[in-house]
Amino acid sequence: MNASTSSIKRKQWWRSYAIWFILPAFLLYCIFVMVPTFSSIYLSFTSWDGISDNIRYIGFENFKEIWNSPRVHNALTNTIIVAIALVILENVVALLLAILVDQVRWLKNLFRSIFYFPVLMSGIIMGFIWMIILNYNFGVVNQLLDLVGLSALKTDWLGNPDYALLSIILSTVWKASGYYMIIYLAGLQGIPQELLEAASIDGAGKWKQFWHVTFPLLAGATTVCVMLSMINSLKLFDQIAVMTNGGPGFATETLTYIIYKVAFGEGRQGFGTALAIVLFILIMIISLIQIRLLRKREVQM
Amino acid sequence: MAKKSFFKLFSGIVAVMLVLTACGGNNTNTNSTTNGNNNGGNSQAEGEAGGNQANPVTISIAYATGDPATKQAIETTIDAFTDAYPHVTIKNISETTSESYLDWLKTKEAVGEFPDLVEMRDTKIFADAGKLAELPEELHSLFTFLPEYDGKYYNAPLTGNNPNGIIYSKKAYADAGVTELPKTYDEFLEIQEKLLASGISPIVVGGKDLFHMGFWINYFLISNVYSSDPDWNSKRIAQTASFTDAAPVQAITDYKELFTKYVDKGWLSTGDNQTASMLVTGKAAQLYSGPWMFGQIEEADPGFEFGFYALPSRDGSVIVNGLPTLAGWSLSAEASKDPDKVEAITAFIKFFFDPEQYGPYLETVNGIPTTVQEVTYETNEQMQEVLRLMSDESVPKSMMINQWYGENAIPPQFRNWFYKLLQELVVSDGDVADYMKQADTEYDSNVKANLQ
Repeated sequence: MNASTSSIKRKQWWRSYAIWFILPAFLLYCIFVMVPTFSSIYLSFTSWDGISDNIRYIGFENFKEIWNSPRVHNALTNTIIVAIALVILENVVALLLAILVDQVRWLKNLFRSIFYFPVLMSGIIMGFIWMIILNYNFGVVNQLLDLVGLSALKTDWLGNPDYALLSIILSTVWKASGYYMIIYLAGLQGIPQELLEAASIDGAGKWKQFWHVTFPLLAGATTVCVMLSMINSLKLFDQIAVMTNGGPGFATETLTYIIYKVAFGEGRQGFGTALAIVLFILIMIISLIQIRLLRKREVQM
Repeated sequence: MAKKSFFKLFSGIVAVMLVLTACGGNNTNTNSTTNGNNNGGNSQAEGEAGGNQANPVTISIAYATGDPATKQAIETTIDAFTDAYPHVTIKNISETTSESYLDWLKTKEAVGEFPDLVEMRDTKIFADAGKLAELPEELHSLFTFLPEYDGKYYNAPLTGNNPNGIIYSKKAYADAGVTELPKTYDEFLEIQEKLLASGISPIVVGGKDLFHMGFWINYFLISNVYSSDPDWNSKRIAQTASFTDAAPVQAITDYKELFTKYVDKGWLSTGDNQTASMLVTGKAAQLYSGPWMFGQIEEADPGFEFGFYALPSRDGSVIVNGLPTLAGWSLSAEASKDPDKVEAITAFIKFFFDPEQYGPYLETVNGIPTTVQEVTYETNEQMQEVLRLMSDESVPKSMMINQWYGENAIPPQFRNWFYKLLQELVVSDGDVADYMKQADTEYDSNVKANLQ
């Protein structure tokens, strides 16, 4: 009896509505995501130039070149610097902003909107604006420095390799922090006032309240924010492309930028794809470690 | 029973899909009707014009729009052409983007929008990939010289290869006490000292745009390397010449010295399009560029007085880049399969190089004519110097590192990398010999990668 029902069930798999609802999306996903993803694994073993119809298999040559290329190493270092700096700065700034706007008494919505505005701008537009602001001869920053008599501090912010990456990092923090602020703000508002009151009755000062009550309870929001900012900073591209073009020299090239440059600019789709796969594996490893670590410190209420 | 419910379910899903596709389908329907209407309108117009006009045809066209004057001049010609040939619709797909023209064209190719008629600057890449068709036979006679690749003609050259030279502010030279133009490179350096002492930034460089780096880098390469050995590139490919040889090292050492001492500090964040305003606002005294800048400078400040001269090399000889390059209007292989398109494109090219259109075009872009038929147009003092240099037999002509073709063609990906490397050399105050070793390594691995 039991066996026969299960065999009927197997015969009638099409009767499950779920399959029919999933199928169209699944097909689209396969055609537009899975197939290109897997074919790119094959492309990474070829010397395809992106234009010609002739795709030649060259084994591990691309990966060998990645391993030996100083340009890729430099890009990898930059990627790591950018990722670490952005994750820390964005989250610290976002948390500070969230606490500030949470406590502000008047014009609450105005402040929230102002800090959120940069998020709405596309990376390219933002890049152009900062590029103009930071321009050596015509930029606002240097002209202000001139005005207050600090001409000695004038620097080519995007043209000096010591400052170019820093300029990109800071402007990205300016752009992205508002987004994480909203997440932290939501977290802050979910913290029951009683806990803070209890803490203050027990004699905890503002800092202790924050460190022992607020911050641990924000762990959920922190996990999300750190995760998101890590992913976003690893794939940072538009600002670099617009503001410095990877320059001066190779000073601000990151992996994402080099992938684009090599694959589309230099006509080496095969090599670019190989780099993309390396980046994919890197992001996966980092994300897995990160989730592990951050999940541990989340507190269940 | 089971069968029945399956059909119920199946027909239900099909019904939903039909409804959805109907929504999507609507769009295409409207499109095709508008198209139909358009075509109808066109043929009607032709009917009224009377006569057996050619079939209505649409060609897409693209060209490099980096320089506003050129962009404007070509647009004017296109408008005049469509007025004269109403059956041809020209779809101008050119865009001004922050990427290089080559990158942009590749993107267009990748998404299947490669233009029918294209201003081609990287003939080798696209011809090798089979994307270009040869220039129709009947157009060959229009030009005094046609660049040849693999025994075939792909390009109708828009202008002659422009020579580069120093564009200088006459006022800045006078203020610094410079009365005579330099006859050797060392005299030129003395002038830089004088300018520096007079408190002006001697040279503006638009280093944010990599192509601008090419002007200076190639001045040094031409006067130190290509002047004595035009086949240096092919020797480098065969590995019988090296970047670490005396001549290239001398070239790059001179380059580094000049950029460290005399170039405006903000050069790496200055775009090519800001150089003209740096010059007219008196923030910098000189610019090393080509005649296409004359128009931009005059537009920025009509009263600004400037001069142009070719920069001599150490021994006082003058050699400019000016050999014809593999560039110009090209037909796409795709368009060449459609006789209507070929006809329209041929008509367009003839129209473009007709003295009536070509004259004003050359005047706007300050170009050097390439046609057999003589073109007269007004030239200013600076342009006359350019034309004198070009026609002067005693001034040898050469080419930029990436413009050589045939045996001497460098790996296409090398140029941008090399320019970036040289930027890094200046900002990190690197050792020239060491950097030239890196250039050798990269060059060889590029050659190897392209053979794979």
